[in-house]
Amino acid sequence: MKSKKFWVPVLLVVFALGAAACGSAKKEAATTAIKAAEDSWNAVKAEVVKYIPDQAKGVDDGIKAAKENFDKGNFDAALETAKVIPDRVKALVAAAAAKKAEMAKAWEEMSGGLPKMLDAIKSRLDILSQSRKLPAGLDKEKLEGAKGGYETAAKMWEEAKAAFAGGNATDALAKGKTVKEKAVEVMTALGMQVPAAAAPAPKG
Amino acid sequence: MAGEEKKQGADAWDATQWHVVEKGETLSKISRKYYGDPNLYMKIFEANKDVLKNPDLIKIGQKLRIP
Repeated sequence: MKSKKFWVPVLLVVFALGAAACGSAKKEAATTAIKAAEDSWNAVKAEVVKYIPDQAKGVDDGIKAAKENFDKGNFDAALETAKVIPDRVKALVAAAAAKKAEMAKAWEEMSGGLPKMLDAIKSRLDILSQSRKLPAGLDKEKLEGAKGGYETAAKMWEEAKAAFAGGNATDALAKGKTVKEKAVEVMTALGMQVPAAAAPAPKG
Repeated sequence: MAGEEKKQGADAWDATQWHVVEKGETLSKISRKYYGDPNLYMKIFEANKDVLKNPDLIKIGQKLRIP
């Protein structure tokens, strides 16, 4: 009969092999989860960052944290952090798509309306430039200011259209908003009626 | 301007400028009101040729575009 002395090292070896196998499995699972997280994110990151940049940072932080845990040998923590990322990415893709649709709608509205305002202003300025006298409430200085405002707005509108055509909806909408504000300012200075859609919201 | 009324309609972006003709008004008077110069009345007439046949004949309550 073999002594206990024989079994102790055998059991230790078996235990060590089991622990190593278990650690290796965790490492592999964490590696797979991190790769899946990175792959899912890299496939859509550019589009998400374009529309919801503030929310996109959370995913980068999550992947970074998973990698840091992995490098420290904390495979369980790395796995836990990484495995939720693909679902988070899916949610962000949906949110980005919604934001994209919202911006496209805003642009469509703007591009249908702002040219009408600019045309109306140009028409009035052209006629006022031919006038021998100016109407009540408008002097030469105010008229020159309105002309300058119109030129600025018209130029910026061209830039907004170029930005949208170039895929930068955020910049296009920001420029369009400035154009609208400038057009409202000029129309008001000229005593013109501002379209309801562009009228500033009442205060209070 | 006071006479330039709000355009009520489906298109909230419509920037057309309107004037509703009041008693005693002529195109010259309206031109002076908006442009400061009564001699520019033909600008208004040209913009309203669909409703005006004669620049001397406008009716009270008529809605005119002011370009």
